Amino acid sequence: MTGDRQRAWGQPGSSARSSLGPAPRLDDLLTNVARGDELAYEEVYDLTSGWVLGVARKVVRDPAMAEEVMQEVMLEVWRRASRFDPVLGSGTAWVMTLAHRRAVDRVRSERSHSDREMKAATAVIDYDDVTEAIEASLERERVQRCLAALTQLQRECVSLAYYGGYTYAEVAELLGVPAGTVKTRMRDGLIRLRDCLGVPGGHR
Amino acid sequence: MTPDDPDLHTLVGAYVLDAVSPDERARFSAHLAWCSACRAEMSELREAAASLGTAQAVRPRPELRAATIASAQLTGQLAPVIARKDIHTGQGRATRRARAIRWVSAAAAAVAVAAGVAVGTHAVDMRARHWRPAAGIVTDVLLAPDAVMRSAPVRTGGMAIVVASAHKHMAVFIAHGLRSLPGTRRYELWLMGPRGERPAGLLAVHQGGMAGPAVISGMSRGDMVGLTVEPASGSLKPTSPPVLMISPQGH
Repeated sequence: MTGDRQRAWGQPGSSARSSLGPAPRLDDLLTNVARGDELAYEEVYDLTSGWVLGVARKVVRDPAMAEEVMQEVMLEVWRRASRFDPVLGSGTAWVMTLAHRRAVDRVRSERSHSDREMKAATAVIDYDDVTEAIEASLERERVQRCLAALTQLQRECVSLAYYGGYTYAEVAELLGVPAGTVKTRMRDGLIRLRDCLGVPGGHR
Repeated sequence: MTPDDPDLHTLVGAYVLDAVSPDERARFSAHLAWCSACRAEMSELREAAASLGTAQAVRPRPELRAATIASAQLTGQLAPVIARKDIHTGQGRATRRARAIRWVSAAAAAVAVAAGVAVGTHAVDMRARHWRPAAGIVTDVLLAPDAVMRSAPVRTGGMAIVVASAHKHMAVFIAHGLRSLPGTRRYELWLMGPRGERPAGLLAVHQGGMAGPAVISGMSRGDMVGLTVEPASGSLKPTSPPVLMISPQGH
């Protein structure tokens, strides 16, 4: 439990603010992975697989399926590393975009054959899911605090989309709110979240 | 709806949250291409959305690490958008390559078993030593309940086998008897289907024209697996007619 690698789990998004966080390092590592550097890939795995599994767990819920999604995403990170461009955003955001999109695709294809929609929808609104054995971290508390600072509708729209994997049209239906309103609340909610988290504007 | 529809801009939040239909995703991506203000906003909101995910970090089971890393070593990488000359000059490749070959052997034995292909006794002995039951993603695909196996001759010589799991969006490719190529050319795998032609990795050809197992990920409905001969650095689109097309999903 000594290396930075091990500790990195607990402080994922420190990325966004700390100059010593894993993010700048992750950017460099991804650039090396794009050249086929397998040792750099092992470090990328250690830094990011916990985040990827975390988001997969939230979205697909089923632990075995979440592990499959994690493995698929980590393979995609290897395969697509040449497409990462640090000018367009952080390595953290790049990995998490792949992860979230894959998890959402999976849950939507599962959902099309199942009737658990409403169950999942009500579960996800309780966004602070304490029943899961999730690593405690300052980052986690910070994000919870910022989510709590949104209006209730903003929070529901953002949570149902990000953690529940619902489209804005589905969220509109679930909440009984016009689709246009849901769209703008998602945007407003993310802007407020960005301001609260202090996500840096431009990128290196 | 045109790309400059003002209504489209309000979609940025839903887009970043992956809460749009595939059609809207495509339209918004097109919109981003010419709207630099939208790109800037999208990029900032994406960082915020990423925090929603990273805050949920959990520790993966340690067993998954070796399996995933080994699978990556067997998986082709997309060629850089801008051609690079230094791709294959990385140091320390030889030793890591040896490690990868162990996995290749284990997985090759698994493919042979799954395919019912007879393997020489000597080869089996060699492989048995390295056989590991938890050979990662390759065996996951081979053992997937919906795995489908197809084989077909390669036009220029050799035989290819594809085992695909539609559920996992992955396939495993293996070939033997492939014609060897001059150093300036390489075999490249492709996914070809309704979503267009996407590179799925460069193949290394070993003794006996053996290649793979290569893991092909990102397979979607209707995709076929294709094989072409390309310049050694790989191509973004096939530059020659396929020497093999296999439809892993039947028909």
